[in-house]
Amino acid sequence: MLEKMKELVANQLGVETDEVTENSSFQNDLGADSLDLFELVMALEEEYSVEIPSEDLEEMKTVGDVLIYLKEKGIE
Amino acid sequence: MKTRITELLGIKYPVIQGGMAWVAEANLAAAVSEAGALGLIGGANAPAEVVRNEIRRAKLRTDKPVGVNVMLLSPHADEVSDVIVEEGVKIVTTGAGNPEKYMNKWKRAGVKVIPVVASVALAKRMERYGADAVVAEGMESGGHIGEQTTMTLVPQIVDAVEIPVIAAGGIGDGRGFAAAFMLGAEAVQMGTRFVVAKESICHENYKQRILNAKDIDSAVTGRSHGHPIRSLRNQMTKEYRKKEEAGASFEELELLTLGSLRNAVVDGDVKNGTVMAGQIAGLIKKEQTCNEIIEEIMSEANRLLKTDYWKGSSYE
Repeated sequence: MLEKMKELVANQLGVETDEVTENSSFQNDLGADSLDLFELVMALEEEYSVEIPSEDLEEMKTVGDVLIYLKEKGIE
Repeated sequence: MKTRITELLGIKYPVIQGGMAWVAEANLAAAVSEAGALGLIGGANAPAEVVRNEIRRAKLRTDKPVGVNVMLLSPHADEVSDVIVEEGVKIVTTGAGNPEKYMNKWKRAGVKVIPVVASVALAKRMERYGADAVVAEGMESGGHIGEQTTMTLVPQIVDAVEIPVIAAGGIGDGRGFAAAFMLGAEAVQMGTRFVVAKESICHENYKQRILNAKDIDSAVTGRSHGHPIRSLRNQMTKEYRKKEEAGASFEELELLTLGSLRNAVVDGDVKNGTVMAGQIAGLIKKEQTCNEIIEEIMSEANRLLKTDYWKGSSYE
């Protein structure tokens, strides 16, 4: 799951996969702006067939946060 | 001219006046709507009761639809979103973010919701959440801007969504209108041209600054901290850029622009204030009534869209 997520994040944000860790902050470490985050959330929704409202997106600062969020939705 | 937008909004011409902070008040919005286009009241950072008052003032001036632009980063956005429902406003555009959380409330109240978007992904998401149309705004526009141009953004969003698309950014006359329609837009939104309208309450200095602007006077500040703003260059933008290049912090730069739009629009300080205007400012040379502006644009656009004008340069 983490590996797949790293790849997805790297693809969406235009960074190298090995730059992405569980603790990477989208905005501070990976340079994502608000438009990038929407790209990412759309890709996540598609990949994991889940709906992510924007309020929830605001709580997800790091790759790890997304993993926890998806886990709570029953996706592992 | 009929498009899905004129039908959706119940207006004669597919033209929308942007919801510019401080400028888009009842007087201007009502004049634009009276002229057959759609006037907007700009909610900007105004408290909810101020917005309510503007809505009521506009209604006294026109029976035609007037919309409200809700700036989602405003500390008053929640209250403003309720005022819209309470005052029976039927058309809302939103800026600076994602209006998902208000969508259900507005749709239930029969409000047509038109988010301003700066990317394909956001446009698709808004469509999914029930938006009636989107405004695709390129970085030619004044004020807060994205990175893509109207030329590139509009056709990509047109291809990505089924709902009608309104083009914004860089449109100031019939040629721009026609070009936007060639890209697939079904309406245009204009700001700068209406700032200098006779009915605009904007300070005379501000209007003159736009009317005298050259093409190269358009400047962008704030790129370094990710909140770029387009305005006309002056003492403020010069100083801002100098500080920005020297690596000043976001907080320090904010001090330079605090209240500076108001200083320019209301008090007429066009040297140290922020004279927000789009790149098209250089094209705008006369102050006209909203009716004159809209009629002129429509007749020019109609001529261009109906004739073989563009074939003038032979390509065979």
